[in-house]
Amino acid sequence: MKKNHIIAIGFIILSFLIAAVSGVSFIEKWKPDMIINGPGVTRTAHLSDYFPDLKGEYSDSTIYFLESENPGGTVFLLGGTHPNEPASMLSAVLLIENAIVNQGRLIVIPQANLSAFSHNDPQEASPQYIHFATDNGIRKFRYGSRATNPIHQWPDPDIYINQFGQSLSGGDNRNLNRGYPGNPSGNYTEKVCYAIMEFIRKEKCDLSIDLHEASPEYPVINAIVAHERSGDLASMAVMDLQMQDLEFNLEMSPPTFHGLTHREWGDFSDTLAILMESANASQGRLRGRTDEALALTGKDKMYVKAAQLGKLYVPYDENGHPIEERVGRHLTAMVTLINNMNLFYPEKTVEFSGVPSYQEINEKGYSSYLK
Amino acid sequence: MLTIIYRLIILFISILIVWDMFKEKNAWNQLTCAMVLVPFILRMLMVK
Repeated sequence: MKKNHIIAIGFIILSFLIAAVSGVSFIEKWKPDMIINGPGVTRTAHLSDYFPDLKGEYSDSTIYFLESENPGGTVFLLGGTHPNEPASMLSAVLLIENAIVNQGRLIVIPQANLSAFSHNDPQEASPQYIHFATDNGIRKFRYGSRATNPIHQWPDPDIYINQFGQSLSGGDNRNLNRGYPGNPSGNYTEKVCYAIMEFIRKEKCDLSIDLHEASPEYPVINAIVAHERSGDLASMAVMDLQMQDLEFNLEMSPPTFHGLTHREWGDFSDTLAILMESANASQGRLRGRTDEALALTGKDKMYVKAAQLGKLYVPYDENGHPIEERVGRHLTAMVTLINNMNLFYPEKTVEFSGVPSYQEINEKGYSSYLK
Repeated sequence: MLTIIYRLIILFISILIVWDMFKEKNAWNQLTCAMVLVPFILRMLMVK
């Protein structure tokens, strides 16, 4: 046998070995995260219960119902639209594992784009997981990608033309928050959007909140974005939050910015649509070392420097923006929105307990609220 | 159906890469082929 043939066989074996090792690591990310039903969870369902085409699909996300026997309104909280924005999913998990509803209903989807949790973005050096030490051991959650896994939806077009005829970048065809109101015969991501829209319509959600995070250099940050029908409610909530020393920018949903929750949930259902953003350095473009610590603490000297240069839209110092602050902001804003909804629409009152305050989360740490 | 065709195309290109590795005399170029082969294997198996 020629020498170059022997080398070729050796390299082919090496290729398969590398593929096997990396493949095991990638397949590991397909395993679902453990989310424990708290004392307030009365039942669970799946997106396929609202849009049967998703039955058997990876993205058939679990829906958690926290219901009271006392009639009232229905609040829907969506986490995990973008799995590289961990405070979104973690806020939803904290609610599922701790909240008890005394009037009305609270419905939570913690991992909206489940497919996007099954991988992360190439060339971003993102951590695969984030961990929390609890009294019962280590809890692990996946840190995913902004977009649907390409093994579930491919290929990306050069330009994604949404249902309203608007041109977006090709990759946005896998972005859950560009595909609303969804399309039952559209691509994989648009079908998930459609299932969520069907869920909102069939469950008659009165208030629907979509949780996100944003890069510190992105203008819409530490913000509440409201559909025009939610404007009064959001305005009152922002003033209440300011009285709690929590600064939120109020942004009105642009009428022609289609495909996003704060626009299409409001336009294609009767719900009051809200989107919220907190500050996450691990998804930003100016970040330095990217690892689990950055995702959880937000400490990054590059962002401190950027803040000194006046390039950011949030204050940034060596303390970063820890996950407790980000989850605390989301949950406090959610509670404040619900309290104001109870004032605006007493017949749609939703009352609950077990949700820690902003101060409690920051003092005790996020992990102390995991089962 | 489209996925099957896509995977067959990947298999075809992977065979070309392997074929080239056997024709190639320069070990560094063979190593380059081996690196290119890894994502093709993962994609063919729809792992990544």
